[in-house]
Amino acid sequence: MTTPFLQIRGLRKTYDQVVAIDHVSLDIQQGEFMTFLGPSGSGKSTTLYIVAGFQGPTEGQVLLNGKSLLEVAPNQRNIGMVFQRYTLFPHLTVGENVAFPLRVRRRPEAEIKAKVEKMLELVHLAGYRDRLPGQLSGGQQQRVAIARALAYDPPLLLMDEPLSALDKKLREEIQLELRRIHQETGVTILYVTHDQEEALRLSDRIAVFSQGKIEQVGTGEELYERPTSRFVAGFIGNSNFLPVKVEQMGSGRARAVFPNGHAVEGAASALAAGSEGTLMVRPEQMRIRPAAAAAGHGLAVTVRDMTYLGDSMHFAVQTPWQQEIAVRMAVRDGQGLSIGAPAVLEWDAQHGHVFA
Amino acid sequence: MSTALSSAAVPVRRRFKIGAESRGVKLLLPALLLLGGFFLIPVLTLLLRSVMEPAPGLQNYVELLGSQTYVRVFFNTFMVAGVVTLITLLIGFPTAWLLAVLPKRWSQLMFAVLLLSMWTNLLARTYAWMVLLQQTGLINRVLMAIGVIDEPLALVNNLVGVTIGMTYIMLPFLVMPLHATLRAIDPSTLRAAAICGASRWQALRLVLLPLALPGIASGALMVFVMSLGYYVTPALLGGTNYMMLAELIAQLVQSLLNWGLAGAAAFVLLVVTLGLYAVQLRYLGGGRTGFGGR
Repeated sequence: MTTPFLQIRGLRKTYDQVVAIDHVSLDIQQGEFMTFLGPSGSGKSTTLYIVAGFQGPTEGQVLLNGKSLLEVAPNQRNIGMVFQRYTLFPHLTVGENVAFPLRVRRRPEAEIKAKVEKMLELVHLAGYRDRLPGQLSGGQQQRVAIARALAYDPPLLLMDEPLSALDKKLREEIQLELRRIHQETGVTILYVTHDQEEALRLSDRIAVFSQGKIEQVGTGEELYERPTSRFVAGFIGNSNFLPVKVEQMGSGRARAVFPNGHAVEGAASALAAGSEGTLMVRPEQMRIRPAAAAAGHGLAVTVRDMTYLGDSMHFAVQTPWQQEIAVRMAVRDGQGLSIGAPAVLEWDAQHGHVFA
Repeated sequence: MSTALSSAAVPVRRRFKIGAESRGVKLLLPALLLLGGFFLIPVLTLLLRSVMEPAPGLQNYVELLGSQTYVRVFFNTFMVAGVVTLITLLIGFPTAWLLAVLPKRWSQLMFAVLLLSMWTNLLARTYAWMVLLQQTGLINRVLMAIGVIDEPLALVNNLVGVTIGMTYIMLPFLVMPLHATLRAIDPSTLRAAAICGASRWQALRLVLLPLALPGIASGALMVFVMSLGYYVTPALLGGTNYMMLAELIAQLVQSLLNWGLAGAAAFVLLVVTLGLYAVQLRYLGGGRTGFGGR
């Protein structure tokens, strides 16, 4: 196998006694859209800033095409970056902002002019060349920032929560733009966000950060369908966590017993038999049926609440040990259920995941 | 303008305008009276005397601008003010930048030092410089002790002394407005410049300096204008051979009782100052910090 495009090797960063990131390692392929997802303070931005060169790691290495980036000053790294806040130069026009990286590289004037036109077309702001940043909306400013970051054809584009200051509608619009720009330019993107939906929408792969470490790396589907930790399961998508005791283990599958003695077979698990754990099942992968129709199968619950959401029904049901569980089903599957009535909760075995 | 307007719209608009104005004027009245009585009238009187004494005409201005001695005083004044402004900028910009980027604890300490020096009596500070700068003063003795010089430098009773003393006194007047401007600049703007490929020098020249320009201009104007009319420090540190304009005016009034010539000198100074202020208003919008739209 060829060397990965960007290698992050055992990065560690401490401030005094506080560990910001701890042994973060990751390989990123050329042209990949990789997202660092995690809550604030999880180390995702620190990792990005080390790649950008604004911070140095306490330990570890960053290699681009097999060569260390750490020795290179930020302005020599030839990396593009879009920041959280709009960091356009307020005294320069849109066109001059995009031209800025080319001017400091002393490119010929004709090339600069052509490139600026091309970049502004790429972000659909062709008519805005002579405006000042202050005359643009937040979304437009961020698109100019993208154009500026891509103007010198950097092999790598870093984005630090670039859409967090925008409202939801604009955010979704620019997410689509970003996907298109990524496809058109083929640039490798490292994207930092705390918004799981944004991560799923944009990324080829997602690295989930928690407390300075990478919890799991995978495609959105892998993270959603096969989370390896309770944190990842909780951070991506909605989840129910039920207390269980692992009774038997065999080939990664467990027989899990609930507090009321009810047992389910075949949940994915890495825990040893006899240990306490949590069984995670997604709300939309659960089904409830009226107790009368179920004939004793499944977990006995009581319907506490039903909400009609148009495309689906949302149920809140209560377990015998007084835990509330969320269930989402197609509207037609919810027939025969009513608030306060006993019901039975079921799911396919492979949708259950047991975590410590 | 009111006569040119058509009748229909005028009364409403004028009533509104007068109402708003008179309310504002009432509040302004004490200040206006004070300024009028103790600033405007004396200045006008002085101006009047400059064209009336000893006889009506412009002979005072002719004498002022025609005599070698007086032209030299003007030259000294503008040169010292210019050099002081330049040196203050060179020292003040890095200082203001440090104040803006240092951790709060350190910047507060630096501010305290700056303010303390500003609040100390001007005369005391100027005499302190005399002690430091004189032939047998601390600076000359230290420089001779470490072998940098063999003979004491003439640091006082000349324009060197005036420049040193005034630079020190003017520093806070530049650092304060500049600091406000620099602090309003988002540090990630400079990070963006670096990641775009700009060297430190390019980031300074292409991003930081243009963004700081309103602060630089208003600070520099303040220093320049204050320096033009400064009296105590030039008088004490400059000696008699190197006179500046404020000293000249004082001497014309106090020793020679030549109010006409003094008025002309004061008026020339005022015109230059107002002219500079107009230039700044025209090109930099009155030195407001930061840029619009952010």
